[in-house]
Amino acid sequence: MPETAGGAQVVVAGSGAVVAPTTELHVDGLRVAVEGKPILDGVDLRVPVGEVHVLMGPNGSGKSTLAYSLMGHPKYKVTGGSASFDGQDLLALTPDRRAQLGLFLSFQNPIAIPGVTTVNFLRAALRAQGKELPAREFIARLGEEMGSLRMDASFRGRYINDGFSGGEKKRAEILQLAMLEPRLAILDEPDSGLDVDALRIVAEGVLRVMEKSEGRMGVLLITHYYRILENLTPDRVHIMHQGKIVDSGGPELAHVIEREGYDPYITATSPTGPEVSRR
Amino acid sequence: MTEAATAAGAVSRESLDARLATSPGWLADRRNAAWDAFTAMPAPSSARDEDWRRTDIGRLHLDRFGPAGPAAPGLLELARSRHATALPGAALLVSEPAGTVTIDNAEALLAQGVIISSLEEAAERHPELVQRGLSGIGIDDSYFAALWNSLWLGGAFVYVPAGVQAMTPVWVSHLAAGADAAAFPATVVVLDGHASLTLVEDLVGPAADPAARVSVAVTALQLGDDARLDDIPVQQLPPATWHFALRRASCGPSAHYRLLGATLGARLQKSYWDVILDGRGAEADILAVCFADADQHLDHQSLQLHRGPDTRSNLLLKVAARDRAQSVYGGLIDVEPGAIHADGYVVNRNLLLSQGASASGVPRLEIKANDVRCGHGTTVGHVDDEERFYLMARGIPADEAERLVVRGYFADVLDRLPIESTRDWLVSLLDSEIGDRGPSRFGEAG
Repeated sequence: MPETAGGAQVVVAGSGAVVAPTTELHVDGLRVAVEGKPILDGVDLRVPVGEVHVLMGPNGSGKSTLAYSLMGHPKYKVTGGSASFDGQDLLALTPDRRAQLGLFLSFQNPIAIPGVTTVNFLRAALRAQGKELPAREFIARLGEEMGSLRMDASFRGRYINDGFSGGEKKRAEILQLAMLEPRLAILDEPDSGLDVDALRIVAEGVLRVMEKSEGRMGVLLITHYYRILENLTPDRVHIMHQGKIVDSGGPELAHVIEREGYDPYITATSPTGPEVSRR
Repeated sequence: MTEAATAAGAVSRESLDARLATSPGWLADRRNAAWDAFTAMPAPSSARDEDWRRTDIGRLHLDRFGPAGPAAPGLLELARSRHATALPGAALLVSEPAGTVTIDNAEALLAQGVIISSLEEAAERHPELVQRGLSGIGIDDSYFAALWNSLWLGGAFVYVPAGVQAMTPVWVSHLAAGADAAAFPATVVVLDGHASLTLVEDLVGPAADPAARVSVAVTALQLGDDARLDDIPVQQLPPATWHFALRRASCGPSAHYRLLGATLGARLQKSYWDVILDGRGAEADILAVCFADADQHLDHQSLQLHRGPDTRSNLLLKVAARDRAQSVYGGLIDVEPGAIHADGYVVNRNLLLSQGASASGVPRLEIKANDVRCGHGTTVGHVDDEERFYLMARGIPADEAERLVVRGYFADVLDRLPIESTRDWLVSLLDSEIGDRGPSRFGEAG
């Protein structure tokens, strides 16, 4: 298996045919509507495993919609385009099958499930993904990961997300990421609402999972803040506006956004749809 | 009607005569009076009787059920294995529908002066205690109460003397009748002042037996001054059973009655849970879970009757219904004029898992005293799409996600059960009712 670091390599196979060597998320012209209202207007995106891609953009530009659509939330209706991972058509799969394929979504505001303890939830998820561990090993790993995330041991027996503070929910999402070891982690604002210390714990947590994966996990990180990128250096930065990726670049692009905001994109794109944008 | 006149069914003059022949005088009088009341009463009607409005028993023909024979093969072993799994330290009383009662593991209780025996035997040997135990059950309280009063047999009797804290719980197993037969489960418990006891009442039958049966049960509980009773009723009768039950706890001053129950079985159930808070400061906590699926129709009715001042009651019934199952709940908090400072609460929650499942909950308050605190609530919900999506986004398939949510939904009731082995057993019963495909029971790790 050729290990790849960049996104654009191709190798020439023995027959001479050109094939993509990387396991990657491949989104092509994706259009999505919510309750009949179009939100994504032809998203093109590639995230190879082993890379960190950052998705930025003003509120309402469609970042979370993309995340939920890739995971298969029933409310988000795909009206055009395609999305695949590792060559498999994601859009044909239910969310559980997508997760079993290696996708993971860290929720911006995960829902509480009263009565289901964090431990039982994680065991069910691991079992469903064919990653069940012997009880002792599971408890040891869980203890280790919770320690790294500075989560109190009492979280094991607490109902998942039930009564968790905003920061605790974010950490619990990263705990799940660490335990489930996906191949593609979509992190929807894992840094929102966190103080400096909590932000560092979360960022270090993601970094630890990345390092442990030894290049077998890709990250699509949705964020508004530059700060988390001080810990997680992105390979690519994409800017989303009005349901499209309007610019992509290296880490320096995040610096530009930090300095100048999204105004250049907003003013640049509005003339392309004058009838719509003036209403 | 001609059939009823000729066949020696379970509900017949012949059955009554057989019971009279073995009853002491006081009991024979009671049985006779109850039979007269029963035969004079019309069967409950969904058209006529308010609390039967949503439960139609028009297709029940009591005259078609025969007297109970010996217990079905394997049933005794099933009942014993449930006790051994859930609460092996408890004294075990098994009451068969034909009247045979066996008692095991009761030495510690007997040494404390606790009486544990068949109800029939107790009616001979301790008539005054049994009469006290039955004093809360009027012979003509209802159609089915009258029927039970005339025809019960076998049964369980427990008496805990004043000041005695029973060292072990008592587990009462009532075995279901055989195919096309009737059973009349009977449990009478008397706790004297300052006594305490944990009681499990397990109504059990062959799990998948499709034959019709009928079960008419009464559980009469008397709590003296400052007595404590933890009462754990489990109903898991076979799927074509008609089950009619009355469970009534009468509580003296400062007595504390706690029910933690599970309703799982029967095709149609009509079950009354009554607590009578007679004495000052008496308290009752009634917590129960119910899982209904297929064509089950499970009806719970409750009464929290506040008679004494400073009495407190709290009821929570959590139902999950799937397929075409129907849950019916009616509850009344009745505060009598003397019950000042009464505090009563009743909540019925329903979780519907299928389009075809339904639930109705009607809690009511009747307050005739001043300075009371009472409340009621009822909710009907579905498994939330966001909950389902969250679980599925972690790789958990839709049906397993639903099971997790249902287990979670019941957890706040089951977690209140202090005996771990019994709680684990109830969780496993619910798991198998919900349908667990996992390789192992889904318990806490470690």
